[in-house]
Amino acid sequence: MSTMNMTIFSGVIVDDATLTIQELACACSVETTWVVQRVSDGLLPCENPAPATAETNWRFTSAALIRARRLLSIERTFDANAEVSALVVDLMEEVSALRSQLPKRAAQAAS
Amino acid sequence: MEFRDYYQILGVSKTADADEIKKAFRKLARKYHPDVSKEADAGARMTELNEANTVLSDPEKRAAYDALGARPQGGQDFRPPPDWNAGREYSGGGMSDAEAAGFSDFFSNLFGESARRAGGTGGAHRAEQMRGEDHHAKVVIDLADAYNGATRAITLRAAKLDASGHVVNEERTLNVNIPKGLKAGQHIRLNGQGSAGFGGAPSGDLFLEISFTPDARYRVDGRDVIEAMPLAPWEAALGASIEMPTPSGTVQVTVPPGSQAGRKLRLRGRGIPGQGSNEAGDLYLEISIVLPPANTDAARKIYEDMARDMAFNPRAANATSTQGAKA
Repeated sequence: MSTMNMTIFSGVIVDDATLTIQELACACSVETTWVVQRVSDGLLPCENPAPATAETNWRFTSAALIRARRLLSIERTFDANAEVSALVVDLMEEVSALRSQLPKRAAQAAS
Repeated sequence: MEFRDYYQILGVSKTADADEIKKAFRKLARKYHPDVSKEADAGARMTELNEANTVLSDPEKRAAYDALGARPQGGQDFRPPPDWNAGREYSGGGMSDAEAAGFSDFFSNLFGESARRAGGTGGAHRAEQMRGEDHHAKVVIDLADAYNGATRAITLRAAKLDASGHVVNEERTLNVNIPKGLKAGQHIRLNGQGSAGFGGAPSGDLFLEISFTPDARYRVDGRDVIEAMPLAPWEAALGASIEMPTPSGTVQVTVPPGSQAGRKLRLRGRGIPGQGSNEAGDLYLEISIVLPPANTDAARKIYEDMARDMAFNPRAANATSTQGAKA
């Protein structure tokens, strides 16, 4: 069944308003302890991550949300530990950045 | 509804043990993982694999699935036996509502309601009240939309409970305002557009991840845009004032004399517009030199005159480095 809703929705841009640890955990369907562990291990970037900073003050950007979901996907799909998953995601991000610098034809040949 | 042969999807026999199923799933997941796969239908195949694995890796669901019997012949619609699910209990869904939203009607009809009853949120216990889950979707926009803003209709598919408590897949279309200044990889968050909450708790949110339609003319790096600027040899050599179409409209560009291929001219502030406290990006015009074809006598003569009159060796630098290597 298709429902056409003519209302035009305007959302909040993540980065203008960064995500709290609770919001990031909800967006990834994980417990906050999953997030805390990966930030503490340096696998997930966040703002205000100093050890003395309360976790409630941590803030996460759009890039962190994409990385968190990729980490989770690799961990769950392959039963990978967090470090291996982070290594895979690092390589994905590197390949993606390099491909974006290539002219289109070269990028198609490389993909 | 259409029958799903989960054993066939994973390429295993009906007698496969848990280890074989896990290995088959991981092998195919490597091939079809949407972040790395080169297959065009990788996203759909990965959802199919996740669905098959969700059922076959869970002993309770697998037993229930096996009890259904075989695929109906001759393309008939599949209907589970009336008492098929009577008395079955599920200890946990193993997948979230948001993840299961992409699964087939077959899965939703068989396991959706039961998984929900059992608290199908990754094994977490369903509280009296629980906020609805967040949903995610990708939105592909044109670069021009990032410059000017736009409204886009986005169709989403989600599993919902109908009035009689059955799980149904529902499609809905949202018209979403795309504000100007968005970068690839940014999210728009729509409050309350995720799964419905439980026990009166609020609904989850919908996160829309932005990416750009590939365009041979442009590359995008954050808010900076790199556009190819083809020049005729005389424009590059002698300098010129040319009209150049850009994402924000045609601009007059002064090409300095002696411009070489690969050099970039920066037009400050003509990249993707700024947003909040973030400044606009820059537009880089990357020079490429296009040779006119030597397909007429007149054109050939010009090239011959250049070859005779200009003492020019484009490989001079190569010759120097070769001599250095020999020494």
